Amino acid sequence: MMYLSMFLTFAKIGLFSFGGGYAILAMIRQEVVVTHPWLSQSQFMDVVAISQMTPGPIAVNAATFIGYHKGGIFGAVLCTFGVILPSLVIMLLVTLSYLKLKKQPWFKNIFRNLRLLSVGLIAAALIMVFGDAMRDWFSVIVFVGSLIAGWRFKTNPFYLLIGAAVVGMLFG
Amino acid sequence: MLLKLFLTFFKIGAFTIGGAYAMIPLIRKEICEKQHWISDDDFMDGLAAAQSCPGPIAVNLSIYIGYHIKKGKGMALAVLGTILPSLISIILIAMLFTRFADAALVKKAFHALRPAVVALIAVPMVEMAKKAGINFRNAWFPLIGAVLVGVFLLSPVYLILLTILVSLWQSVKAMTP
Repeated sequence: MMYLSMFLTFAKIGLFSFGGGYAILAMIRQEVVVTHPWLSQSQFMDVVAISQMTPGPIAVNAATFIGYHKGGIFGAVLCTFGVILPSLVIMLLVTLSYLKLKKQPWFKNIFRNLRLLSVGLIAAALIMVFGDAMRDWFSVIVFVGSLIAGWRFKTNPFYLLIGAAVVGMLFG
Repeated sequence: MLLKLFLTFFKIGAFTIGGAYAMIPLIRKEICEKQHWISDDDFMDGLAAAQSCPGPIAVNLSIYIGYHIKKGKGMALAVLGTILPSLISIILIAMLFTRFADAALVKKAFHALRPAVVALIAVPMVEMAKKAGINFRNAWFPLIGAVLVGVFLLSPVYLILLTILVSLWQSVKAMTP
């Protein structure tokens, strides 16, 4: 029963989360702290930190962690699959219709406008993480340095992240 | 080809830290420029679709790209590649260090990683804005969207639905003389 409830909860989270990682975390909090007594608020904050710090999509990380916490490796796999199941169905349908309809003017028009919104949503994510990341002068210096490295020298994001991690460990 | 597809998405999954947005230019480079798997235009549409559908953006994008390249098989491998780094790293962390987030060195690394990720989101935005066809006449739309979602924390789903409805209305209006 526990496993089924976990699977369904994460499928619901996947289905109702729009806008990627940060928006999904709010939805996960609602479900696993408020609706179900699976985690305390402080445990949830730990999950958020770990999900942001480890590789992979934030929502998948959080689902895997909470799943493992409540039900071992099986729970981890189950919750991860639950959170991506709605994506699999909906995104497959969208992709299929895209391949069929992308020459239709009305369909093209939808995507032309969604592309505009897409840039706005990325800017929104930027607004949300900016304040949290710029805590002190060190952060601002790293931000400006990364900006210059990425903009002016087109540094590969892989190397930029590795470089930032090393700089943080040495001077952070 | 299938192995390459899996490894490419595994790499993308492994380096997606702090959300998918920082990795978009890299995904585009791998998929469009290096491997020539899909066109730039199809990629931009895929990104817009991945953001407009529920679920993690990186997973949505991998479904879209994987299916474009090799139908169901491509989709399964791309998704698996994207989520496997999460599964492995999280289970290891949960088993080995329960207080991973408190480890001093990890905290120090993230002190610099956070602002670096912000820069990685900011840098490609200008190029994406150009590709999306943003100009002085239509820039108000993404700007208002950014403020509503980023500052007033409105759920993007309302903007997505509104955009789709207005787009359809535009088409209907264009068709009726």
